[in-house]
Amino acid sequence: MFFMVSCIGEEPLNPEADVEEFVIDPQLLTSKTIIDQANRKILIYIKPEAYQNGISPTLKLSKGATSSPASRTLIKFDQPVFYTISSESGGNQKKYEIEVVEIGTWTFNFETWTANSTSGYEFPLDNNIQIWSSGNPGVALSGVPAQADAYPTRSTNSGFNGTKAAQLTTLPGNFLSEFLGIKIFPGSFFLGDFNSSQALANPLAATEFGQPYFDMPDKFTGYYTYTPGATFQDQAGNPVAGQKDRFSLYAVMFNGPDRLNGSNINSSDKIIARAELPNDVPANTEFKRFEVPFTYIPGRTPGNNVMVAIVASSSYQGDTYRGAIGSRLVVDSLRIIAK
Amino acid sequence: MVFSAFTLAQNKKDSLEFKVTAGLNIGGLSPIPLPDNIREIKSYDPGFNPSVGVEVLYRFRNKWKVGISPRVEYKGMKVKDRVMYFHTLIQMGDGAEMASFEGDFSGINYTESKNLYLGVPVFVEFTPGEKWHYRLGGYFAFLLDSRFKGTVSDGYIRNGGSLGEKVEVNSASFDFSDKVRKSDYGIYAGISRDVSERFSVDLSLQWGLRSAFPSSFSGISFPMYNIYAQIGTGYRF
Repeated sequence: MFFMVSCIGEEPLNPEADVEEFVIDPQLLTSKTIIDQANRKILIYIKPEAYQNGISPTLKLSKGATSSPASRTLIKFDQPVFYTISSESGGNQKKYEIEVVEIGTWTFNFETWTANSTSGYEFPLDNNIQIWSSGNPGVALSGVPAQADAYPTRSTNSGFNGTKAAQLTTLPGNFLSEFLGIKIFPGSFFLGDFNSSQALANPLAATEFGQPYFDMPDKFTGYYTYTPGATFQDQAGNPVAGQKDRFSLYAVMFNGPDRLNGSNINSSDKIIARAELPNDVPANTEFKRFEVPFTYIPGRTPGNNVMVAIVASSSYQGDTYRGAIGSRLVVDSLRIIAK
Repeated sequence: MVFSAFTLAQNKKDSLEFKVTAGLNIGGLSPIPLPDNIREIKSYDPGFNPSVGVEVLYRFRNKWKVGISPRVEYKGMKVKDRVMYFHTLIQMGDGAEMASFEGDFSGINYTESKNLYLGVPVFVEFTPGEKWHYRLGGYFAFLLDSRFKGTVSDGYIRNGGSLGEKVEVNSASFDFSDKVRKSDYGIYAGISRDVSERFSVDLSLQWGLRSAFPSSFSGISFPMYNIYAQIGTGYRF
Protein backbone atom coordinates (compact mmCIF):
# COMPACT_ATOMS: atom_id res chain seq x y z
CA MET A 1 0.00 0.00 0.00
CA PHE A 2 2.67 2.46 1.01
CA PHE A 3 4.75 2.18 -2.10
CA MET A 4 1.62 2.76 -4.16
CA VAL A 5 0.90 6.05 -2.45
CA SER A 6 3.91 7.50 -4.19
CA CYS A 7 2.42 6.45 -7.51
CA ILE A 8 -0.41 9.01 -7.43
CA GLY A 9 -0.20 10.68 -10.80
CA GLU A 10 -1.29 13.96 -12.27
CA GLU A 11 -4.76 15.16 -11.46
CA PRO A 12 -7.08 14.25 -14.33
CA LEU A 13 -8.29 17.14 -16.49
CA ASN A 14 -11.69 18.33 -15.37
CA PRO A 15 -14.46 16.60 -17.37
CA GLU A 16 -17.17 18.90 -15.95
CA ALA A 17 -18.88 21.60 -17.98
CA ASP A 18 -21.26 23.49 -15.71
CA VAL A 19 -22.44 27.05 -15.78
CA GLU A 20 -22.07 27.61 -12.04
CA GLU A 21 -23.12 31.24 -12.02
CA PHE A 22 -24.81 33.45 -14.57
CA VAL A 23 -24.44 37.01 -13.36
CA ILE A 24 -26.52 39.81 -14.86
CA ASP A 25 -26.32 43.48 -13.88
CA PRO A 26 -28.71 43.59 -10.88
CA GLN A 27 -30.25 46.81 -12.25
CA LEU A 28 -31.67 44.84 -15.14
CA LEU A 29 -33.19 42.08 -13.04
CA THR A 30 -36.70 41.61 -11.73
CA SER A 31 -35.86 38.44 -9.84
CA LYS A 32 -33.08 35.98 -9.16
CA THR A 33 -31.70 33.84 -11.97
CA ILE A 34 -32.31 30.10 -11.76
CA ILE A 35 -29.86 27.62 -13.23
CA ASP A 36 -31.76 24.39 -13.74
CA GLN A 37 -28.83 21.98 -13.97
CA ALA A 38 -30.97 18.87 -14.45
CA ASN A 39 -32.72 20.33 -17.49
CA ARG A 40 -29.80 22.51 -18.64
CA LYS A 41 -31.79 25.71 -18.64
CA ILE A 42 -30.97 29.14 -17.32
CA LEU A 43 -34.12 30.99 -16.37
CA ILE A 44 -33.68 34.74 -16.21
CA TYR A 45 -36.02 37.47 -15.01
CA ILE A 46 -35.23 40.80 -16.67
CA LYS A 47 -36.82 44.19 -17.20
CA PRO A 48 -38.43 44.98 -20.58
CA GLU A 49 -35.61 47.33 -21.65
CA ALA A 50 -33.04 44.61 -20.96
CA TYR A 51 -35.10 42.25 -23.09
CA GLN A 52 -35.06 44.88 -25.88
CA ASN A 53 -31.38 45.77 -25.73
CA GLY A 54 -29.87 42.45 -24.72
CA ILE A 55 -27.63 41.66 -21.77
CA SER A 56 -23.93 40.87 -21.23
CA PRO A 57 -23.87 38.21 -18.53
CA THR A 58 -20.72 37.16 -16.69
CA LEU A 59 -20.35 33.39 -16.46
CA LYS A 60 -18.62 31.34 -13.85
CA LEU A 61 -17.85 27.89 -15.24
CA SER A 62 -16.43 24.60 -14.00
CA LYS A 63 -12.66 24.83 -13.52
CA GLY A 64 -10.91 25.02 -16.87
CA ALA A 65 -14.09 25.03 -18.96
CA THR A 66 -14.78 27.49 -21.78
CA SER A 67 -18.04 28.86 -23.12
CA SER A 68 -19.42 29.92 -26.45
CA PRO A 69 -20.47 32.68 -26.55
CA ALA A 70 -17.84 33.85 -24.11
CA SER A 71 -18.53 35.47 -20.77
CA ARG A 72 -19.51 39.16 -21.04
CA THR A 73 -20.58 38.83 -24.69
CA LEU A 74 -23.70 40.81 -25.53
CA ILE A 75 -26.58 38.45 -26.19
CA LYS A 76 -29.88 39.46 -27.79
CA PHE A 77 -33.23 37.78 -27.54
CA ASP A 78 -34.44 38.09 -31.14
CA GLN A 79 -33.71 34.36 -31.46
CA PRO A 80 -33.20 31.47 -29.03
CA VAL A 81 -30.00 31.82 -27.01
CA PHE A 82 -27.78 28.85 -26.20
CA TYR A 83 -24.48 28.61 -24.38
CA THR A 84 -22.20 25.69 -25.19
CA ILE A 85 -19.73 24.82 -22.45
CA SER A 86 -16.65 22.71 -23.24
CA SER A 87 -14.85 20.96 -20.41
CA GLU A 88 -11.16 21.33 -19.63
CA SER A 89 -10.73 17.66 -20.57
CA GLY A 90 -11.95 18.56 -24.05
CA GLY A 91 -14.30 15.66 -24.66
CA ASN A 92 -17.35 16.93 -22.85
CA GLN A 93 -19.82 19.56 -24.00
CA LYS A 94 -22.98 20.76 -22.40
CA LYS A 95 -25.54 23.08 -23.95
CA TYR A 96 -27.68 25.40 -21.86
CA GLU A 97 -30.69 27.26 -23.15
CA ILE A 98 -31.45 30.73 -21.87
CA GLU A 99 -35.11 31.35 -21.15
CA VAL A 100 -36.56 34.72 -20.29
CA VAL A 101 -39.30 34.19 -17.76
CA GLU A 102 -42.41 36.28 -18.09
CA ILE A 103 -45.42 35.17 -16.14
CA GLY A 104 -48.38 36.84 -17.75
CA THR A 105 -51.81 36.20 -16.36
CA TRP A 106 -51.12 33.89 -13.39
CA THR A 107 -53.66 31.47 -14.79
CA PHE A 108 -52.22 28.00 -15.12
CA ASN A 109 -54.08 25.40 -17.17
CA PHE A 110 -51.26 22.83 -17.54
CA GLU A 111 -52.06 22.02 -21.16
CA THR A 112 -48.45 21.79 -22.42
CA TRP A 113 -46.00 19.31 -20.93
CA THR A 114 -42.51 18.22 -21.76
CA ALA A 115 -40.18 15.56 -20.37
CA ASN A 116 -36.65 15.57 -19.03
CA SER A 117 -34.57 14.03 -21.80
CA THR A 118 -32.61 11.55 -19.69
CA SER A 119 -34.78 10.81 -16.65
CA GLY A 120 -38.17 10.90 -18.35
CA TYR A 121 -40.16 12.88 -15.77
CA GLU A 122 -42.67 15.44 -16.99
CA PHE A 123 -43.14 19.08 -16.19
CA PRO A 124 -45.55 21.65 -17.61
CA LEU A 125 -44.56 24.63 -19.72
CA ASP A 126 -46.16 28.03 -19.40
CA ASN A 127 -45.66 30.13 -22.55
CA ASN A 128 -42.95 27.60 -23.38
CA ILE A 129 -41.07 28.31 -20.16
CA GLN A 130 -40.63 26.03 -17.18
CA ILE A 131 -41.92 27.87 -14.14
CA TRP A 132 -43.43 24.85 -12.33
CA SER A 133 -41.33 22.15 -10.78
CA SER A 134 -41.79 19.11 -8.56
CA GLY A 135 -39.90 16.59 -6.46
CA ASN A 136 -39.44 14.47 -9.59
CA PRO A 137 -35.79 15.46 -10.18
CA GLY A 138 -35.07 14.13 -6.68
CA VAL A 139 -36.94 10.89 -7.34
CA ALA A 140 -34.89 10.54 -10.54
CA LEU A 141 -31.77 10.22 -8.41
CA SER A 142 -33.08 6.98 -6.91
CA GLY A 143 -32.98 5.42 -10.34
CA VAL A 144 -36.64 4.79 -11.14
CA PRO A 145 -37.36 3.80 -14.78
CA ALA A 146 -37.07 6.72 -17.21
CA GLN A 147 -40.79 7.02 -17.94
CA ALA A 148 -43.38 9.56 -16.85
CA ASP A 149 -45.56 7.15 -14.88
CA ALA A 150 -42.64 6.05 -12.70
CA TYR A 151 -42.75 9.52 -11.13
CA PRO A 152 -45.21 10.90 -8.59
CA THR A 153 -45.97 14.09 -10.53
CA ARG A 154 -47.06 13.96 -14.17
CA SER A 155 -49.71 15.06 -16.62
CA THR A 156 -53.12 13.45 -16.89
CA ASN A 157 -55.64 13.67 -19.70
CA SER A 158 -58.55 13.59 -17.30
CA GLY A 159 -58.29 17.17 -16.17
CA PHE A 160 -61.05 19.71 -15.70
CA ASN A 161 -63.28 19.88 -18.82
CA GLY A 162 -61.42 16.89 -20.30
CA THR A 163 -58.19 18.78 -20.88
CA LYS A 164 -54.79 18.12 -19.35
CA ALA A 165 -54.03 18.66 -15.70
CA ALA A 166 -51.29 17.98 -13.15
CA GLN A 167 -51.61 14.70 -11.28
CA LEU A 168 -49.78 14.05 -8.02
CA THR A 169 -49.69 10.50 -6.66
CA THR A 170 -47.91 9.22 -3.57
CA LEU A 171 -45.82 6.29 -4.79
CA PRO A 172 -43.91 3.61 -2.91
CA GLY A 173 -40.15 4.13 -2.62
CA ASN A 174 -37.72 1.75 -4.23
CA PHE A 175 -34.65 -0.18 -3.10
CA LEU A 176 -32.32 2.75 -3.40
CA SER A 177 -34.59 5.26 -1.69
CA GLU A 178 -35.27 2.84 1.16
CA PHE A 179 -31.55 2.58 1.56
CA LEU A 180 -31.69 6.30 2.37
CA GLY A 181 -34.69 5.77 4.66
CA ILE A 182 -37.28 7.06 2.15
CA LYS A 183 -40.26 4.69 2.04
CA ILE A 184 -42.63 6.82 -0.05
CA PHE A 185 -42.36 9.34 -2.86
CA PRO A 186 -45.09 11.89 -2.17
CA GLY A 187 -46.32 13.82 -5.19
CA SER A 188 -45.35 17.47 -5.03
CA PHE A 189 -45.86 20.31 -7.45
CA PHE A 190 -44.97 23.94 -7.06
CA LEU A 191 -44.19 27.26 -8.69
CA GLY A 192 -40.42 27.48 -8.49
CA ASP A 193 -37.46 25.27 -9.17
CA PHE A 194 -35.77 22.15 -7.89
CA ASN A 195 -32.19 22.67 -6.75
CA SER A 196 -30.64 19.28 -7.44
CA SER A 197 -27.47 20.04 -5.52
CA GLN A 198 -29.42 19.83 -2.24
CA ALA A 199 -31.50 16.78 -3.18
CA LEU A 200 -29.62 14.34 -0.96
CA ALA A 201 -27.96 16.52 1.61
CA ASN A 202 -31.02 18.61 2.46
CA PRO A 203 -34.07 17.53 0.43
CA LEU A 204 -36.41 20.12 1.94
CA ALA A 205 -34.12 22.92 0.81
CA ALA A 206 -34.05 21.50 -2.72
CA THR A 207 -37.63 22.56 -3.40
CA GLU A 208 -37.32 26.31 -4.01
CA PHE A 209 -40.66 28.05 -4.08
CA GLY A 210 -41.90 31.23 -5.70
CA GLN A 211 -41.99 33.40 -8.79
CA PRO A 212 -41.93 37.20 -8.85
CA TYR A 213 -45.33 38.86 -8.48
CA PHE A 214 -46.00 42.51 -9.19
CA ASP A 215 -49.45 43.04 -7.61
CA MET A 216 -51.20 42.35 -4.35
CA PRO A 217 -52.80 38.89 -4.50
CA ASP A 218 -56.40 38.65 -3.43
CA LYS A 219 -57.60 35.10 -4.12
CA PHE A 220 -56.29 31.69 -4.99
CA THR A 221 -58.72 29.71 -7.14
CA GLY A 222 -58.79 26.47 -9.11
CA TYR A 223 -60.15 22.96 -9.44
CA TYR A 224 -59.06 19.74 -7.80
CA THR A 225 -59.92 16.14 -7.07
CA TYR A 226 -58.51 14.11 -4.21
CA THR A 227 -58.58 10.46 -3.22
CA PRO A 228 -56.51 9.43 -0.21
CA GLY A 229 -54.62 6.13 -0.35
CA ALA A 230 -55.76 3.18 1.73
CA THR A 231 -53.15 2.95 4.46
CA PHE A 232 -51.38 5.86 6.06
CA GLN A 233 -47.82 4.99 6.99
CA ASP A 234 -45.18 6.64 9.12
CA GLN A 235 -41.62 7.46 8.13
CA ALA A 236 -40.49 3.91 8.95
CA GLY A 237 -43.17 2.48 6.69
CA ASN A 238 -45.40 1.18 9.50
CA PRO A 239 -49.17 1.63 9.13
CA VAL A 240 -50.72 4.25 11.42
CA ALA A 241 -54.13 3.08 12.57
CA GLY A 242 -56.90 5.64 12.35
CA GLN A 243 -54.97 8.24 10.38
CA LYS A 244 -56.14 9.24 6.94
CA ASP A 245 -54.02 10.97 4.35
CA ARG A 246 -54.85 14.51 3.23
CA PHE A 247 -53.60 16.74 0.47
CA SER A 248 -52.07 20.14 0.84
CA LEU A 249 -52.68 23.01 -1.54
CA TYR A 250 -51.80 26.59 -0.74
CA ALA A 251 -50.40 29.84 -2.06
CA VAL A 252 -47.93 32.03 -0.19
CA MET A 253 -46.95 35.62 -0.81
CA PHE A 254 -43.55 36.57 0.60
CA ASN A 255 -40.70 39.03 0.34
CA GLY A 256 -37.95 37.91 -2.08
CA PRO A 257 -35.69 37.97 -3.89
CA ASP A 258 -34.54 34.75 -2.17
CA ARG A 259 -36.99 31.93 -2.64
CA LEU A 260 -38.43 30.10 0.31
CA ASN A 261 -38.06 26.33 0.41
CA GLY A 262 -39.54 23.26 2.05
CA SER A 263 -37.85 24.01 5.34
CA ASN A 264 -39.26 27.51 5.84
CA ILE A 265 -42.36 27.91 3.64
CA ASN A 266 -44.58 27.66 6.71
CA SER A 267 -42.43 29.49 9.19
CA SER A 268 -40.46 32.27 7.51
CA ASP A 269 -41.01 35.80 8.73
CA LYS A 270 -40.79 36.92 5.10
CA ILE A 271 -44.29 35.56 4.57
CA ILE A 272 -46.82 38.34 4.02
CA ALA A 273 -49.99 36.45 3.23
CA ARG A 274 -51.26 32.91 2.78
CA ALA A 275 -54.22 31.25 1.08
CA GLU A 276 -54.66 27.62 2.07
CA LEU A 277 -57.37 25.15 1.17
CA PRO A 278 -59.02 23.30 4.03
CA ASN A 279 -57.91 19.68 3.62
CA ASP A 280 -60.06 17.95 6.23
CA VAL A 281 -62.66 17.18 3.60
CA PRO A 282 -64.23 14.02 2.16
CA ALA A 283 -62.64 12.40 -0.90
CA ASN A 284 -63.92 13.82 -4.17
CA THR A 285 -63.44 12.17 -7.52
CA GLU A 286 -65.30 14.92 -9.44
CA PHE A 287 -63.56 18.25 -9.96
CA LYS A 288 -64.40 20.68 -7.25
CA ARG A 289 -63.87 24.40 -7.57
CA PHE A 290 -62.16 26.28 -4.77
CA GLU A 291 -61.66 29.95 -4.02
CA VAL A 292 -59.55 30.92 -1.04
CA PRO A 293 -58.76 34.51 -0.04
CA PHE A 294 -55.23 35.50 0.94
CA THR A 295 -55.00 36.18 4.65
CA TYR A 296 -52.53 38.97 5.28
CA ILE A 297 -50.43 38.66 8.40
CA PRO A 298 -50.65 41.88 10.42
CA GLY A 299 -47.42 43.85 10.61
CA ARG A 300 -45.79 42.33 7.52
CA THR A 301 -45.15 44.75 4.67
CA PRO A 302 -44.36 43.90 1.08
CA GLY A 303 -40.95 45.08 -0.17
CA ASN A 304 -39.60 45.49 -3.69
CA ASN A 305 -39.25 41.82 -4.55
CA VAL A 306 -42.56 40.23 -3.77
CA MET A 307 -42.96 36.60 -4.78
CA VAL A 308 -45.84 34.19 -4.80
CA ALA A 309 -45.59 30.43 -4.57
CA ILE A 310 -48.26 27.83 -5.17
CA VAL A 311 -47.47 24.53 -3.49
CA ALA A 312 -49.35 21.24 -3.78
CA SER A 313 -48.77 17.78 -2.37
CA SER A 314 -50.66 14.50 -2.53
CA SER A 315 -49.67 13.78 1.09
CA TYR A 316 -49.85 16.67 3.52
CA GLN A 317 -47.06 15.23 5.67
CA GLY A 318 -45.05 14.17 2.65
CA ASP A 319 -42.22 16.50 3.62
CA THR A 320 -41.47 14.04 6.44
CA TYR A 321 -42.18 11.01 4.18
CA ARG A 322 -45.44 10.21 5.95
CA GLY A 323 -48.51 9.45 3.85
CA ALA A 324 -50.55 6.77 2.10
CA ILE A 325 -49.37 5.08 -1.05
CA GLY A 326 -51.90 5.79 -3.78
CA SER A 327 -53.09 9.17 -2.49
CA ARG A 328 -53.92 11.13 -5.62
CA LEU A 329 -54.41 14.86 -6.09
CA VAL A 330 -55.25 16.37 -9.47
CA VAL A 331 -55.09 20.15 -9.85
CA ASP A 332 -56.17 22.25 -12.81
CA SER A 333 -56.84 25.87 -13.79
CA LEU A 334 -54.97 27.33 -10.83
CA ARG A 335 -55.17 31.09 -10.62
CA ILE A 336 -53.88 33.91 -8.50
CA ILE A 337 -56.27 36.86 -8.74
CA ALA A 338 -54.90 40.29 -7.85
CA LYS A 339 -56.72 42.89 -5.81
CA MET B 1 17.63 -55.90 1.51
CA VAL B 2 16.21 -55.32 4.94
CA PHE B 3 18.79 -52.72 5.56
CA SER B 4 18.12 -50.80 2.38
CA ALA B 5 14.36 -50.86 2.98
CA PHE B 6 15.01 -49.39 6.37
CA THR B 7 17.13 -46.57 4.98
CA LEU B 8 14.49 -45.80 2.35
CA ALA B 9 11.84 -45.48 5.04
CA GLN B 10 14.20 -43.35 7.01
CA ASN B 11 14.75 -41.13 3.97
CA LYS B 12 11.03 -40.90 3.29
CA LYS B 13 10.38 -39.78 6.84
CA ASP B 14 13.13 -37.20 6.63
CA SER B 15 11.90 -35.80 3.38
CA LEU B 16 8.41 -34.96 4.75
CA GLU B 17 7.97 -32.02 7.05
CA PHE B 18 4.87 -30.90 8.97
CA LYS B 19 4.39 -27.46 10.42
CA VAL B 20 1.76 -25.32 12.02
CA THR B 21 1.86 -21.67 11.06
CA ALA B 22 0.48 -18.43 12.42
CA GLY B 23 0.86 -14.93 11.08
CA LEU B 24 -0.54 -11.49 10.46
CA ASN B 25 -1.57 -10.14 7.07
CA ILE B 26 -0.82 -6.54 6.21
CA GLY B 27 -1.87 -5.07 2.92
CA GLY B 28 -4.84 -3.89 0.98
CA LEU B 29 -7.49 -4.50 -1.56
CA SER B 30 -6.34 -2.08 -4.20
CA PRO B 31 -6.43 -1.19 -7.86
CA ILE B 32 -3.06 -1.65 -9.61
CA PRO B 33 -1.83 0.86 -10.53
CA LEU B 34 -3.74 3.47 -8.56
CA PRO B 35 -6.03 5.27 -11.03
CA ASP B 36 -5.80 9.05 -11.37
CA ASN B 37 -9.24 9.23 -9.76
CA ILE B 38 -7.64 8.51 -6.39
CA ARG B 39 -6.02 11.78 -5.45
CA GLU B 40 -4.82 11.24 -1.92
CA ILE B 41 -4.67 8.48 0.69
CA LYS B 42 -5.71 10.28 3.85
CA SER B 43 -5.38 7.37 6.22
CA TYR B 44 -4.65 3.69 6.15
CA ASP B 45 -5.09 1.14 8.90
CA PRO B 46 -4.03 -2.45 8.22
CA GLY B 47 -6.29 -3.72 10.99
CA PHE B 48 -5.84 -7.08 12.73
CA ASN B 49 -5.82 -9.87 10.16
CA PRO B 50 -4.60 -13.13 11.65
CA SER B 51 -3.79 -16.25 9.67
CA VAL B 52 -3.47 -19.80 11.04
CA GLY B 53 -2.72 -22.94 9.10
CA VAL B 54 -0.67 -26.02 8.55
CA GLU B 55 2.12 -26.71 6.12
CA VAL B 56 3.38 -29.88 4.50
CA LEU B 57 6.74 -29.92 2.71
CA TYR B 58 8.23 -32.72 0.70
CA ARG B 59 11.90 -32.80 -0.24
CA PHE B 60 12.22 -34.15 -3.73
CA ARG B 61 15.89 -33.27 -4.25
CA ASN B 62 18.72 -32.03 -2.18
CA LYS B 63 17.94 -28.34 -1.36
CA TRP B 64 14.52 -28.47 -3.11
CA LYS B 65 11.10 -29.07 -1.63
CA VAL B 66 7.52 -28.68 -2.70
CA GLY B 67 4.96 -27.49 -0.20
CA ILE B 68 1.34 -26.73 0.42
CA SER B 69 0.23 -24.38 3.15
CA PRO B 70 -3.54 -24.36 3.71
CA ARG B 71 -4.65 -21.67 6.14
CA VAL B 72 -7.66 -19.75 7.31
CA GLU B 73 -6.91 -16.06 7.16
CA TYR B 74 -8.33 -12.61 7.15
CA LYS B 75 -7.39 -10.06 4.54
CA GLY B 76 -8.56 -6.60 5.37
CA MET B 77 -7.85 -2.91 5.69
CA LYS B 78 -9.42 0.42 6.49
CA VAL B 79 -8.60 3.21 4.10
CA LYS B 80 -9.75 6.79 3.70
CA ASP B 81 -9.00 8.48 0.43
CA ARG B 82 -9.96 11.48 -1.62
CA VAL B 83 -11.32 10.66 -5.05
CA MET B 84 -12.27 12.73 -8.10
CA TYR B 85 -14.78 11.76 -10.81
CA PHE B 86 -15.04 8.24 -9.43
CA HIS B 87 -17.55 6.41 -11.60
CA THR B 88 -20.09 4.18 -9.93
CA LEU B 89 -23.22 2.32 -10.97
CA ILE B 90 -25.35 0.88 -8.20
CA GLN B 91 -28.18 -1.50 -8.99
CA MET B 92 -30.62 -2.90 -6.50
CA GLY B 93 -33.59 -5.20 -7.01
CA ASP B 94 -34.70 -7.11 -10.10
CA GLY B 95 -37.06 -6.68 -13.00
CA ALA B 96 -39.71 -4.02 -12.65
CA GLU B 97 -38.50 -3.28 -9.12
CA MET B 98 -34.97 -2.60 -10.22
CA ALA B 99 -33.49 0.72 -9.23
CA SER B 100 -30.15 1.89 -10.47
CA PHE B 101 -28.04 4.93 -9.95
CA GLU B 102 -25.06 5.83 -12.04
CA GLY B 103 -22.81 8.78 -11.42
CA ASP B 104 -19.39 10.27 -10.80
CA PHE B 105 -18.41 10.97 -7.20
CA SER B 106 -15.83 13.49 -6.04
CA GLY B 107 -15.07 13.66 -2.34
CA ILE B 108 -13.97 11.49 0.55
CA ASN B 109 -14.29 7.74 0.43
CA TYR B 110 -13.88 5.52 3.46
CA THR B 111 -13.72 1.79 2.91
CA GLU B 112 -13.50 -1.03 5.39
CA SER B 113 -12.83 -4.45 3.99
CA LYS B 114 -12.33 -7.64 5.92
CA ASN B 115 -12.63 -10.91 4.06
CA LEU B 116 -12.11 -14.37 5.52
CA TYR B 117 -10.49 -16.83 3.14
CA LEU B 118 -9.45 -20.43 3.11
CA GLY B 119 -6.14 -19.87 1.32
CA VAL B 120 -4.02 -22.60 -0.21
CA PRO B 121 -0.54 -21.59 -1.37
CA VAL B 122 1.43 -24.26 -3.25
CA PHE B 123 5.08 -23.59 -3.85
CA VAL B 124 8.61 -24.79 -4.49
CA GLU B 125 11.12 -24.08 -1.73
CA PHE B 126 14.84 -23.70 -2.28
CA THR B 127 17.30 -24.01 0.61
CA PRO B 128 20.77 -22.99 -0.58
CA GLY B 129 22.43 -23.33 2.84
CA GLU B 130 21.31 -24.24 6.32
CA LYS B 131 18.81 -21.72 7.64
CA TRP B 132 17.37 -19.63 4.83
CA HIS B 133 14.56 -20.90 2.64
CA TYR B 134 13.15 -19.19 -0.45
CA ARG B 135 9.70 -19.97 -1.84
CA LEU B 136 7.84 -19.23 -5.00
CA GLY B 137 4.46 -20.44 -6.15
CA GLY B 138 0.83 -19.56 -6.41
CA TYR B 139 -2.25 -19.58 -4.26
CA PHE B 140 -5.92 -20.27 -4.50
CA ALA B 141 -8.32 -18.87 -1.97
CA PHE B 142 -11.96 -19.51 -1.22
CA LEU B 143 -14.07 -16.84 0.42
CA LEU B 144 -15.64 -17.91 3.71
CA ASP B 145 -16.98 -14.56 4.84
CA SER B 146 -16.89 -11.04 3.43
CA ARG B 147 -17.17 -7.45 4.42
CA PHE B 148 -16.71 -4.52 2.07
CA LYS B 149 -18.48 -1.40 3.11
CA GLY B 150 -17.97 2.23 3.88
CA THR B 151 -19.12 5.76 3.29
CA VAL B 152 -18.79 8.56 0.79
CA SER B 153 -18.88 12.03 2.25
CA ASP B 154 -17.93 15.70 1.93
CA GLY B 155 -18.34 15.83 -1.79
CA TYR B 156 -20.78 15.56 -4.63
CA ILE B 157 -22.02 13.07 -7.14
CA ARG B 158 -22.98 13.86 -10.69
CA ASN B 159 -26.11 12.12 -11.87
CA GLY B 160 -25.32 9.84 -14.79
CA GLY B 161 -21.74 10.97 -15.27
CA SER B 162 -19.53 14.00 -15.48
CA LEU B 163 -22.11 16.09 -17.36
CA GLY B 164 -24.99 15.33 -15.03
CA GLU B 165 -26.31 17.67 -12.39
CA LYS B 166 -24.25 18.01 -9.24
CA VAL B 167 -25.79 16.58 -6.08
CA GLU B 168 -24.06 17.37 -2.83
CA VAL B 169 -23.32 14.42 -0.56
CA ASN B 170 -22.82 14.99 3.17
CA SER B 171 -22.54 11.32 3.93
CA ALA B 172 -23.93 8.18 2.37
CA SER B 173 -23.04 4.59 3.10
CA PHE B 174 -22.44 1.66 0.80
CA ASP B 175 -22.17 -2.05 1.39
CA PHE B 176 -20.84 -4.28 -1.37
CA SER B 177 -20.09 -7.22 0.95
CA ASP B 178 -22.23 -9.67 -0.98
CA LYS B 179 -20.58 -8.71 -4.27
CA VAL B 180 -17.10 -9.95 -3.32
CA ARG B 181 -15.99 -12.88 -5.49
CA LYS B 182 -16.06 -16.31 -3.91
CA SER B 183 -12.56 -17.20 -5.02
CA ASP B 184 -9.22 -15.59 -5.61
CA TYR B 185 -5.86 -16.68 -6.97
CA GLY B 186 -2.45 -15.14 -7.37
CA ILE B 187 1.27 -15.32 -6.87
CA TYR B 188 2.82 -16.51 -3.64
CA ALA B 189 6.44 -15.80 -2.65
CA GLY B 190 8.25 -15.98 0.64
CA ILE B 191 11.42 -16.16 2.67
CA SER B 192 11.79 -18.05 5.91
CA ARG B 193 14.59 -18.47 8.37
CA ASP B 194 15.01 -21.20 10.96
CA VAL B 195 15.58 -19.61 14.34
CA SER B 196 15.81 -22.86 16.29
CA GLU B 197 15.49 -26.51 15.54
CA ARG B 198 11.71 -26.30 15.44
CA PHE B 199 10.83 -22.62 14.96
CA SER B 200 11.05 -20.50 11.86
CA VAL B 201 10.06 -16.92 11.05
CA ASP B 202 8.44 -16.25 7.72
CA LEU B 203 7.81 -13.30 5.50
CA SER B 204 5.59 -13.91 2.50
CA LEU B 205 3.59 -12.05 -0.10
CA GLN B 206 0.31 -12.98 -1.74
CA TRP B 207 -0.33 -10.91 -4.84
CA GLY B 208 -3.83 -11.43 -6.18
CA LEU B 209 -4.31 -11.66 -9.93
CA ARG B 210 -8.09 -11.81 -9.92
CA SER B 211 -10.24 -8.79 -9.23
CA ALA B 212 -12.09 -9.13 -5.95
CA PHE B 213 -15.28 -8.08 -7.73
CA PRO B 214 -16.71 -9.71 -10.85
CA SER B 215 -16.64 -7.68 -14.06
CA SER B 216 -20.46 -7.54 -13.96
CA PHE B 217 -20.21 -5.41 -10.82
CA SER B 218 -19.94 -1.73 -11.62
CA GLY B 219 -20.06 -0.10 -8.20
CA ILE B 220 -16.33 0.42 -8.53
CA SER B 221 -15.10 1.26 -11.98
CA PHE B 222 -11.69 -0.45 -11.78
CA PRO B 223 -10.51 -3.94 -10.75
CA MET B 224 -9.31 -4.35 -7.15
CA TYR B 225 -6.73 -6.91 -6.13
CA ASN B 226 -5.84 -8.54 -2.81
CA ILE B 227 -2.23 -7.67 -2.10
CA TYR B 228 -1.03 -8.83 1.29
CA ALA B 229 2.26 -9.45 3.02
CA GLN B 230 2.37 -11.83 5.93
CA ILE B 231 4.72 -11.89 8.89
CA GLY B 232 4.49 -15.21 10.62
CA THR B 233 6.07 -18.06 12.41
CA GLY B 234 6.11 -21.82 11.89
CA TYR B 235 6.57 -24.70 14.29
CA ARG B 236 7.91 -27.93 12.85
CA PHE B 237 6.96 -31.32 14.31
